[in-house]
Amino acid sequence: MNIPPPKAATWLGTLPFILVIAAWWLLPRIVQYPAYMLPPISAVLDFAWESIRDGTLLKNVLWSLGRLFAGFVIGMALAVPLGLAIALNRHVAETFRPVLSFLQAIAGIAWVPLTLIWFGIGNGSVIFVIANTIFFASLYNTVTGVQSIPTPLYRAVRSHGGSGFALLTNLILPGALVQLLLGMRTSMAYGWRALVASEMIAGSNGLGFMTMEAVQWQRTDVIILGMIVIGILWMLLDRLVFTAIERRTVGRWGLLQR
Amino acid sequence: MTSLVLPVPPSRRLFAGRWGKVLRGASGVLLLLAAWQVSVPLVGLSAYFYPAPSDVVASFADLMRKGILPVYFADSMVRYGAGLLAGALLGVAMGVLIGLHRTVAITLSPLLKFLFAIVEVAWIPIFVVWFGYGFKTIVLALVYVVFFPVLYNTLLGVRTAPQILVNALRSLGASRLQVLRYAILPSALPGIITGLRVGAGFAFRGLVFAEIVAAKTGIGYLIFEGTQTQQTARTIVGMIVMGLTWLAIDLCFLRPVERATIQRWGLTVDAEQRA
Repeated sequence: MNIPPPKAATWLGTLPFILVIAAWWLLPRIVQYPAYMLPPISAVLDFAWESIRDGTLLKNVLWSLGRLFAGFVIGMALAVPLGLAIALNRHVAETFRPVLSFLQAIAGIAWVPLTLIWFGIGNGSVIFVIANTIFFASLYNTVTGVQSIPTPLYRAVRSHGGSGFALLTNLILPGALVQLLLGMRTSMAYGWRALVASEMIAGSNGLGFMTMEAVQWQRTDVIILGMIVIGILWMLLDRLVFTAIERRTVGRWGLLQR
Repeated sequence: MTSLVLPVPPSRRLFAGRWGKVLRGASGVLLLLAAWQVSVPLVGLSAYFYPAPSDVVASFADLMRKGILPVYFADSMVRYGAGLLAGALLGVAMGVLIGLHRTVAITLSPLLKFLFAIVEVAWIPIFVVWFGYGFKTIVLALVYVVFFPVLYNTLLGVRTAPQILVNALRSLGASRLQVLRYAILPSALPGIITGLRVGAGFAFRGLVFAEIVAAKTGIGYLIFEGTQTQQTARTIVGMIVMGLTWLAIDLCFLRPVERATIQRWGLTVDAEQRA
């Protein structure tokens, strides 16, 4: 989902940002509204500076990223072997597909109330929800990935004398990997939302917690800073991590259909 | 489609054909339910921590008898429908506008990219401050989720509209509106549907989260309220209703629409995997 990069006049793109900031600056001078609804830019900048200097912002960012990473690793580590095991037998795959579709439909945020009972507020709940999201998305992708490997390829490996192990390492794993990588951006998009959302309900720190907790105190400056940091972090993740991985793998293999 | 097992002759299969698939799928569901029921006495936790399927069925009957579940379900669906419709309309309008005007595209794309990166979940706190708890906040969040995928896919569709058709219409004296109606929108339609499908998936989780945070009715609220009032079985009823609802929406609405538009024209590329 990319707008093709413009050839000329890139400066035009800064115009809306300038307009938004100008409108934000002008608004309190024109219309009367309670200050908590929209704090002046200076308040947000002050808070940003303050929280950068005392390190709380960085700490929250690191907490959030750490949980995302932990949830991702746990979810993948469970999903890939299980997905392969399921996919390698058609009967098992057909038996579990509806259950998997169902569990994928409720994966993520809907588990937070239960995890609150099971693990209480904090890391356990949040990581469970992210791992759960990543797990079902990746499990489904692994199963679909293996099943989308064309039959002639199996026959080719077999007729060249490939045994079970060679089949696994040379055909099935790479075949599943393509689907996993292609699906990763979407599953991470779900995982990222799950992270922010579960931190809001079940976190004791992190960006989501910081943003939601501020509602109680009507600290809109904190809320807006949280939103901006969440936006910038996602853009960085997308640009530096997912796009790079895609380009190095499926892009290079000529399998990217974008 | 494929498996390591060599194809078995049809007569020897226990469950053959399409019904076999359905039966096997049903057996998977039953297996899960049985494992759940059996594990309850083994785990030995109270129903508050780990309710059994029988508790959930009782809770479902209770919620139906009191009329809570139908009302909550209807509320959720109205919010979802309103958000989806408004988000899709806005996305298509914006997508056509941006797709047809290069300068507008160059000007707006950085801001749109940034806004897209601020996921709807992150907007909910400030929506709560601005609009309070309830319908407005939830629907706005849903509009926000649906808008972006529809916008980007519409844009893609508009950009890939065959220039030859546009030229043909123009040379026959068609107005700008007619070109839009007869060449650009039809070729953008598959993109719009793909965008709607992606957006619908994200919006569904968004709905549940928004209802947890900002509602006093709805399926999301049911899921949250159940554990808050020590009626965990209610939470699980809510989760099951949520999952079945999504599967039903996907099966009865999204897939048929996709089949009717995209696949018929042979334009399906990766709509399946994007969803």
